[in-house]
Amino acid sequence: MTDSNTTEAPAAPPRPTGVVRLLIAMPEFGPLVLLVVMLVVFTSINPAFLSLTNISNALTFTVELGLIALAMTLLMTSGEFDLSVGSVFGFTPVVMWTLFNTGSMSLFPAFVIALVVAIAIGAFSGLFVTRLGIPSFLVTLGMLLMVRGSALWLTSGFPQRTWDAGEQWLAEVLVGDFYIGGLRVYMSLIWFILIALAFHYLLTRSRFGNWIQATGGNPGAARNRGVPIRKVKLILFMLTSAMAGLAGIISSIRVSAANPNSGMGYELEVIAMVVIGGTVLTGGRGTIIGTVLGVLILRLMRNGIVLIGVPGLAYNIFIGAIILGMMALHAALEKRHNEGV
Amino acid sequence: MADTATPLVEMRNIEKFYGRIHALRNVNLTIRHGEIVGLLGDNGAGKSTLIKVLSGAVPYTSGEILMNGKPLTLRSTNDAIDAGIETIYQDSALVPQLSIARNLFLGRELRKGPGFLDRMDQERMNSVARDLLKRVGISKNIPPTTPIGSLSGGERQAVAIARAMYFDSELIILDEPTNNLGVAETQGVLRFVRDARNSGHSCIFIAHNIHHVFQVVDRMVVMRRGEVVADDLSPKTSSIQDVEDIITGEHIAA
Repeated sequence: MTDSNTTEAPAAPPRPTGVVRLLIAMPEFGPLVLLVVMLVVFTSINPAFLSLTNISNALTFTVELGLIALAMTLLMTSGEFDLSVGSVFGFTPVVMWTLFNTGSMSLFPAFVIALVVAIAIGAFSGLFVTRLGIPSFLVTLGMLLMVRGSALWLTSGFPQRTWDAGEQWLAEVLVGDFYIGGLRVYMSLIWFILIALAFHYLLTRSRFGNWIQATGGNPGAARNRGVPIRKVKLILFMLTSAMAGLAGIISSIRVSAANPNSGMGYELEVIAMVVIGGTVLTGGRGTIIGTVLGVLILRLMRNGIVLIGVPGLAYNIFIGAIILGMMALHAALEKRHNEGV
Repeated sequence: MADTATPLVEMRNIEKFYGRIHALRNVNLTIRHGEIVGLLGDNGAGKSTLIKVLSGAVPYTSGEILMNGKPLTLRSTNDAIDAGIETIYQDSALVPQLSIARNLFLGRELRKGPGFLDRMDQERMNSVARDLLKRVGISKNIPPTTPIGSLSGGERQAVAIARAMYFDSELIILDEPTNNLGVAETQGVLRFVRDARNSGHSCIFIAHNIHHVFQVVDRMVVMRRGEVVADDLSPKTSSIQDVEDIITGEHIAA
């Protein structure tokens, strides 16, 4: 028993080898396969699915929810989520256009103030969660109601007009469009791509990204190593809320109305996009690439099933089935992973 | 081996109350340089509280802590880490989802690149991790990018100990490092602890299994009901039975 120097280090489980196994082990693998299958099936049934007009349209609507999903990915990786994003999506443009339409200020300051309000909402949720230790489900559920109520009360339930936006440079920067060949590209898509790249870099390459994953993976260990886990979560709550506000503003300019009711139910669709992409609801593992795939899957599904003649009302059946299927797949892969296969 | 001049850590007259519960009663504890001290005691004896105080996780009510003869103020775990006290908790030492290298440098990531766009220097972190794994005796070819979650319990302990050694912690506190480990893995961990001492680190070793403690420590400290009841037991002169009697308080009854 004392002769321990001859004792070998403990046995390690066998580790996966080969490109294929590595590929399968990646959380983005499932959603990627699903996306390819969808594209093939929809296009073979209705070739118009892959037309430039259709792609362009689908992408436009995609990015507004997608912007929120990108930030939600980071927040969920840190182990929290935010149910109030749909409300913030509706409320932020209402604040901006109310300030602008009453003539109290020009558009840009109104835009900045509206985003600050959105960030403050996120900060409030974040402080509640991190300082009082209340689960984010309850905190952001309360926030969802408060923010939606504020939007309705502020506008008496009526949409705010936004058609004066036409000549504003800010509107051009956010939702202007231009053509690449025959493809009509909206500025919002450019923003989505830039922010996706930035967040991917942040999550995988930066120190803050390491902290996000550690905070969600094992908060105790992260804290013991000196990672400011409360600050990490607070920043991500603020970021998520800011992105929801930005998405709401973009949407309000695109549809020429700031409706206090808009964004209802978006919180669940955004969370669906994130988890379909392979990010874990309980935190620790997140992927921006997966979220981009998840965003595309949900949007192209909505678009595709209409094009192939399935009643649009049946959309949710497919989405629900996809979520369940993806969760089963991720659970199976996770189990394999933990067994070291 | 021990530097006899000044002890590494001296805790003097430490008192800790949790509300009305008197968790630590006038505790005095000295850790010398290059010494492995076993901390023993039954559940609720105050071992964990004492360790939490020393690692900055909970504030103490009164008393003082000296490190290398100088007073030490511990307001947070960061203060303790900065002072060179590294605590390896059983369940909260590592993040299972992150790679070995990312865990080693968690909170102290190596970075490169310009200010705002700086990123982690993953190549350097990986190469340091690879060397370190070799040094602590994980000779098998485990890439430093392997997530902690797919390592065995013994390998995880090895990584946590390697981290403490790399960052030159003068005192490594191991909280139940051999819990839930197999026989071979336990021997591996005990070997890491000896290696850590041989390279100049002091250790506090907490374990329920007295056999494990006996194999590795230079000295044993026993706590009971918030008090240190013995602090000079040597595994060479005391038997396991003697120590167990002190832990349970049988020696008073006898």
